[in-house]
Formats: sequence, C-alpha cells, structure tokens
Amino acid sequence: MAQIELKALQKAWDDAVAVQDMNLTIQDGEFVAILGPSGCGKSTTLLMLAGLYLPTGGDILFDGTRVNEVEARHRNVGIVFQSYALYPNMSVLQNILFPTRSQQTPDAEKRAREMAEMVQINQLLERRPSQLSGGQQQRVALARALIKRPNLLLLDEPLSNLDATLRLTMRAEIRRITRDLGVTTILVTHDQLEATTMADRVVCMNAGRIEQIGRAEDLYLRPDTLFVAGFIGSPPMNLISLPHPLIEVPSIARTFGLRPEALRPAETGLPAQVTHFEPMGREVLTTVQTPLGLLRFLEAGTQPRWQVGDSLHLTHARDDAILFDGTGARIPNATALMTEQGYA
Amino acid sequence: MVDWVKLAQRSRLGRRLRLGALSVFLVAVSIPIAVPYIWMVMIAFTARRGMAETGTLWPALLVILVGLGIYGAAMLWLRRERLAIVMGVLTAFLLGLILLGQDLHLQNFRFMVNANIIDDLDGQGTVGERYPWVWEAFANSLLLASTQTVIVVTVSTLAAYYLSRFSFRGRNTFLQSLLVLQAFPAITLVIPIFLIVFWVGLLNTLYAPILVLTALELPFFIFIMKGFFDAVPWDIEMSAMTDGASRREAFWMVVLPQVRVGMIAIGVFAFIKGWEEYVFVNGLRTGESYWVMSTYLYYVREDVMGVDYGMVAAVAVLYVLPALILYLFCQKYLTQMTLGGVKG
Repeated sequence: MAQIELKALQKAWDDAVAVQDMNLTIQDGEFVAILGPSGCGKSTTLLMLAGLYLPTGGDILFDGTRVNEVEARHRNVGIVFQSYALYPNMSVLQNILFPTRSQQTPDAEKRAREMAEMVQINQLLERRPSQLSGGQQQRVALARALIKRPNLLLLDEPLSNLDATLRLTMRAEIRRITRDLGVTTILVTHDQLEATTMADRVVCMNAGRIEQIGRAEDLYLRPDTLFVAGFIGSPPMNLISLPHPLIEVPSIARTFGLRPEALRPAETGLPAQVTHFEPMGREVLTTVQTPLGLLRFLEAGTQPRWQVGDSLHLTHARDDAILFDGTGARIPNATALMTEQGYA
Repeated sequence: MVDWVKLAQRSRLGRRLRLGALSVFLVAVSIPIAVPYIWMVMIAFTARRGMAETGTLWPALLVILVGLGIYGAAMLWLRRERLAIVMGVLTAFLLGLILLGQDLHLQNFRFMVNANIIDDLDGQGTVGERYPWVWEAFANSLLLASTQTVIVVTVSTLAAYYLSRFSFRGRNTFLQSLLVLQAFPAITLVIPIFLIVFWVGLLNTLYAPILVLTALELPFFIFIMKGFFDAVPWDIEMSAMTDGASRREAFWMVVLPQVRVGMIAIGVFAFIKGWEEYVFVNGLRTGESYWVMSTYLYYVREDVMGVDYGMVAAVAVLYVLPALILYLFCQKYLTQMTLGGVKG
C-alpha cells in the first residue's frame, strides 16, 4: 500500500502530447477514479503508473520515492485490463499464481485459494479462461492483480465488457474488496456512473489535462470548467451561449448552464413547446423548443404530464444557474435568471 | 391467392437440383486430380518389365468406386460413420483381391534394399562404380527439410514478433519489401545464387540449398507470423510484465503459446518446401556430390537402360509418403492458419 504522487507528469509522442502538467496526490488506501472521454490521456497515465510507459517529463513518486525508471515488474503494481488479459494457455489457478512465481513463497498456493475465495471463483480453479464467463474472468483478473499485495491497484475500464446487471454487482464487489484490503486504487473509466459510484475522489481529464479533482458531488454541483459541466451528469446540462437578451447575467459570462432537474414548469416564465419526451422510470425527460433553443428538463413521475405540441412556461431558481467566462472557467458566486421578456 | 404448398415444393426441387449439379461438378473436377495419384500407386505395385500398363488402372478405379458407393450407401441408410467406413474398405479390399490379386507385387520397390537397381548389369551403374543409395537421398532430404524448417520457424517467429510489437525507422518499408520479394520468381535468381555459393565455397554441400531455401522462404513466413502476433492482444503482455515478468519471459510464457498454431503451420509448409525442392538442390551441385529425393527420382527416371516406370512410380510413392503423413497429422493446424494469419 502506498501513497502515490504525480508531479508535472507529461507524456509526449513524436506527433502529439497525450498527458501534460498532471499533478495529483493519492493517499494511502484511497480509491480514485480518472474519468474522461476516450483519447483524453487517462489510459496513458495508467500505463505510466504501471511502469509500462516512460514519462517524458515530470515525476511519479511512490511513498515519496521517485520511480520513473523503475521497470513494471519491480513496481509491485496490480493491473486489471478491460479485456482481463488472462493467460489463455494457463488454468485459473496458474493465472492467479503467475505474479508469485518469482518469489518462491511456500504458501503461495494457499494465498491463491484465499484470493479465489474472496472473489468467489474457488470452484473454477482448474478451468481454462476460455471456459469462463465475462464476469468470472473479471474476478480471476482481480485475484491475479491482488495476490502479491500490490502497492497500487490499477483498473482500466474493468466493467466495460460486462452486461448492465453484472456491472452493478461487480461495482459493489470491487469496492468491497479494495476497502477490505485497504489497497490504493486507481480506476480509469469513461463511464461517469462507475467513477462517481465507486471512487472517493474523481479526477476529470480532457485533452491530456486535469480539468477538476474532487468528490463526485463537487464535480456535479460545482464544475470548475465548462468541460466538466458538459461531461458530468446524465442527461447533460443545458448550455446556452451568452450574451442573450432573455438571460440576465454579469457581463463577463459567456455560457449559461442549467441542470435539467433545475428547470420546472410554472405559470409564467420562458415560453416553451414540447417536442419530445422520454420516460426514464421514476422520471420523465422532456425536450422543449424555446427562444433559447432546445432545452431538456426532468420531472418526477412515471407518466409524461405533457403531450407533444403542448405549450408551457419554464422557470428556475436564480442560484441554480452556473456561469462560465470566455476561457471556460466557472464564475464563482454568480447567479442568473432567464426572463420572459428581454430584461434590457 | 398464393399457393404456399406449390411454392414450397418448387423451392425444395430447386434446392435438390442445385445440390445435385454441385455434386456432379465437384466430382467431375476432382477426377483428373485424384486419378494420377491412384495410377501412381497402381503402377508402383503392379508394373512389370518396366512397362506402365493401363490394364490394372480401370479395375483399380472400379474397386475404389464400389468401395465409395458402399460407404455412401451405408451412410445413407445406417447413418453410422465408422461402420460405413469399415464396410467400404472391406468391400474394396475383397474386390481388389479378386480383380487384381495376381497382379500385385513388390518388385518395383527393390531399390529400397539394393542400391544396384539394374539387375542385369551387376557392377556397372551410372555413377562410375557407385550407385546412389535411396536411403542416403532420403536422409539428406530429411536433413535439408528439417534443418531449414528449424531455421525458418525460429527466425521468422523472432523477426515477426519484433515487427509486430516494436516501431523503428523503416518498419513500413521493411514490411512492404517483404511482400515485394515474394513477387519475384525465385528461379530467376539461380545464376547469381550459384555464383555467390561458389565464391563462398559452399558449392556441392548441403549447406547451400539449406541456406538458400531459408533465405527465399523467410519473407513470406515472417509476414504470416506477423499476422499471428498481431492477433495477440497487447494487454496480455503488459499484464505479464506488471505481474513480474521481464519482456523476454512475457514473450516465452505468455505470447509464444498463443502463436503455437502459426509456428506449426509455417513449420509444415517449410518442411514440405524443403522436401520437394528440386531447382536449388540440382542447381547448386556440379556432379553427384549429394543426393536428395527429388534428384534421386530424376536419376531413376533417366536410367541408361530405358525407363523403368514401375520403379519411378515406386520411388514417387516413397517420396510422397512423409509429406502426406505430416499433412495428415497437422491438418487441423493448417486449416486454422486463416484465423491468425491473414488478419494482419
């Protein structure tokens, strides 16, 4: 178990920069998710942490010691890939034992069986990986990554190949196991639900840079940048370019953001016409055409209250608006209101 | 009103007609391919006085057809494959004994026990006082084929791994030139290769054809093997390296077992190429310095006393046998070649 520190970490290829100026400290035993769209540099970061890629700038520190040039096999890092990367020519037990092969510990097999029990695959030890289901392979990969008591556990999109129900189970399983073992864990994912449900802290990345680091609710309620605001949240935030005559804002604001659940129908307010609705279980997502363009709002209820073509008015609380300046940074403590007529 | 019954009848009839036409076509094209082999075997076991008589060919074909007919009929009515095979073989054997019994003999195989293949002229062979001995040719062929198989498999596996996994300057040019090399007919190189071999001092040794064949075969086999390595996911290697393996260990323990099929496949092809080679074994010797099976077959055919077709056929049977056995045993690997091989 270790405390991990990244200082001004950079990875550049011949023709592109994958990661730049990345600063991050992860406490011992903490579970951190790196969240971002594909190509944002999150997997590159992971492979640098594992020791498979050499950073082109900056430092990686394990417990305060610089490990940049330490080879992957000496870093004592466990990794679980999206494809699970089990060794097809070995049985499940051999797979789990593989990382202990050089240490020659007599109790390795006993420990392998403990690990197998912890991830609930002790019935499958003699099978080949090809005879296992996706979820079982996932568990084998996890046991294999954990058998050597790693300093750091890296999870690269571990749930993407599972079906929805299994994903829910494995999310809780992985969280339980890492908490029981107290292992420092970094999860790389493009799925915000995975990141926000599993991690203590979420690191949101875009185009090789960290956009924001914080707890899930910070990222949701107080996004630092326009990118985070648009990326976090499903359905996504309504974003409107400013200045607009129907929105009353401070003059430096360039984008106006409003979560779908912050909008609500009212007697007066912005006129809107329903174009589409999607029942989502306990809520209904309604898309409306307004003078500000298409907006989405969420309402509680299993049945749609409106029909396509209905006219209504929308309003919101002044504090719910989130404003961004021309660089995409959030303007703190700013409020704004959509009005029925132009305010000027 | 659509007449469904009639339409279904028509479709059934059409399907049967198409299937029948296809069978007739396939049988028609396979006859000219299969008959020479049957004839070769029949001549080897029945020809006397050096003459190839067609007299035994037609009864032999009849025997085979009846055997196949019995097998087919048994399959149709009894639907038990092993029983059908036994019945077919048994019928063919009995019928063959009746029709051909007194024609069969092993005289044509006397070259296997006596180097002097011209019985009447004791002591005066075609090579001064010495006759080429078939087992020497057989051993040389075996040596030639297996040595160059070992070299080809080793070199192309290592080269293909490097080409598949590492990027280096000129990699693409290298890959393209591999294919361009394959476009030239090797026979155009006989004279320059002869000169090089002469200067190097390997003329009239077995090293010459071994090295030349290896060099000529490598480009294509490297390309095939690269396809197999491309199909092995990177994740598995990276996983092995974080699990404490060095790059070499990862290659040996995790990657190589997954390209085993490819290695077997190119091994079989390389062996058969070496086994059947005639141009470069004949072109790189200036006398009777070494004999291999192909030159031995040519020698038997060229005998001064007139051609003994029975013996030519008998040598041919011996010549075909190892390649045939190899194919039969490795068939399942060869058919898998398309899985990995052509994907790249």
